[in-house]
Amino acid sequence: MDKKLGKLKDHYMDIPIPKELDDVVNRALQTSTKKRKVAYKWSIGTVAAAILLIATVNSSPSAANAMSNIPIIGKVIDVITFQEWKEEKDNQASMDIKVPAISGLDNSGLEASLNEKYIAESKQLYQEFTKTLAELKEGENANMAVTSGYEVLTDNDSIFSIRRYNVITQASSSTEMQFDTVDKKNQVLLTLKSLFKNESYIDVLSENIKAQIAEQMKSDPNKIYWVSEDDPVRFEKIDRNQKFYINEQNKLVIAFDQYEVAPGYMGPVEFIIPTDEISDILVGKEYIK
Amino acid sequence: MVQDIRQLLITTITEKKENYYRLAYSYVKNKDDALDIIQESIKKALISVDKINDSQSINSWFYKIIVHTALDFLRKHKKVTLADVDTLEFFSQGHEDDYQNIDLQKAIDDLPVKYKSIIILRYFEDLKLEEIAIILGENINTIKTRLYKALELLRIKMD
Repeated sequence: MDKKLGKLKDHYMDIPIPKELDDVVNRALQTSTKKRKVAYKWSIGTVAAAILLIATVNSSPSAANAMSNIPIIGKVIDVITFQEWKEEKDNQASMDIKVPAISGLDNSGLEASLNEKYIAESKQLYQEFTKTLAELKEGENANMAVTSGYEVLTDNDSIFSIRRYNVITQASSSTEMQFDTVDKKNQVLLTLKSLFKNESYIDVLSENIKAQIAEQMKSDPNKIYWVSEDDPVRFEKIDRNQKFYINEQNKLVIAFDQYEVAPGYMGPVEFIIPTDEISDILVGKEYIK
Repeated sequence: MVQDIRQLLITTITEKKENYYRLAYSYVKNKDDALDIIQESIKKALISVDKINDSQSINSWFYKIIVHTALDFLRKHKKVTLADVDTLEFFSQGHEDDYQNIDLQKAIDDLPVKYKSIIILRYFEDLKLEEIAIILGENINTIKTRLYKALELLRIKMD
């Protein structure tokens, strides 16, 4: 028996190690080293030799037009694509970064700080993209696509929510989301904590999300979340500053990045929290109904 | 502290990546899926690095993530293949990479996953029973019983 096990082990050890393993491991280690930041690191080659095509930094006429086009009646906050960086290279690399700019907020300090943040984060993404390309060896393909953009989720009398996303595709893709929600009446940026009377929101929201997860997994066996008792990285609680927004129906939506609570193929996931579940601990009924 | 553990995790993964790959491969049986499992496991591990409370157990912890990720994968694909005859045929015909010695390997592959995992971890990865208990999330007596049973099944198949 021992001899047979030995033979089996030899076979096991003969499983060929593909040459791609190093790359896959290095890339995975690099892309995730900075938790919850826009920044991504890409694979590091050595010699800087890739031929860079033209970097079209684009403050287009249409953007300028849109800037002057703040509506007087109706919705007050306006979002335009302030800049778009778009590149397509001959070594299988492409990039499309749209930078949003918000206008029409009475609180000009808040407006400026949001816009500065958007520009700074987009710039960082752009720089990392060009840096990665510069580090490729000559003739090596980047096989990389970066798409960054935004979407206004909610814009009603009281709330303005915007979602920004970065999708980085390199063999497989990873998606990251950022959200900002502004209270239009008081002209302040909302935090998750500020919506609630006390810290109990962390447990209340977490329990509700776990119940939703259980329900989803029961009704659709293709859905997998990391919640089982013995899962080494199971979801237990939301972060105190968990990503969130308020949707058009005035419901609170809790958002998770890809890989945060579920396998990669599930993508980023969101949970709409039934208002009944949290009405006791909400500060007011203004934002969430 | 978290930074140290993160660094240790990165070092461990880098050093033992071939072991991890073989383990992933032994579940999914082809290169591309095994690489996906590795990638996904690393991302999963780095995102939850603050949940490690004992730096001694990083290796077992990461093995555990691989096993879970691989099982999730198999679970998902089982559903897909059951739903679609063409996919099922595709997987059963051409998707497995070739083995040099089919018979010997088949004996272990035919074992139910819970027995196969134990044989691999104990005899091929040379892990201690305590570590295997952590990785598979069972108590040590269950592991012992299962190992005995696994050897018995294997013996019947190979003799």
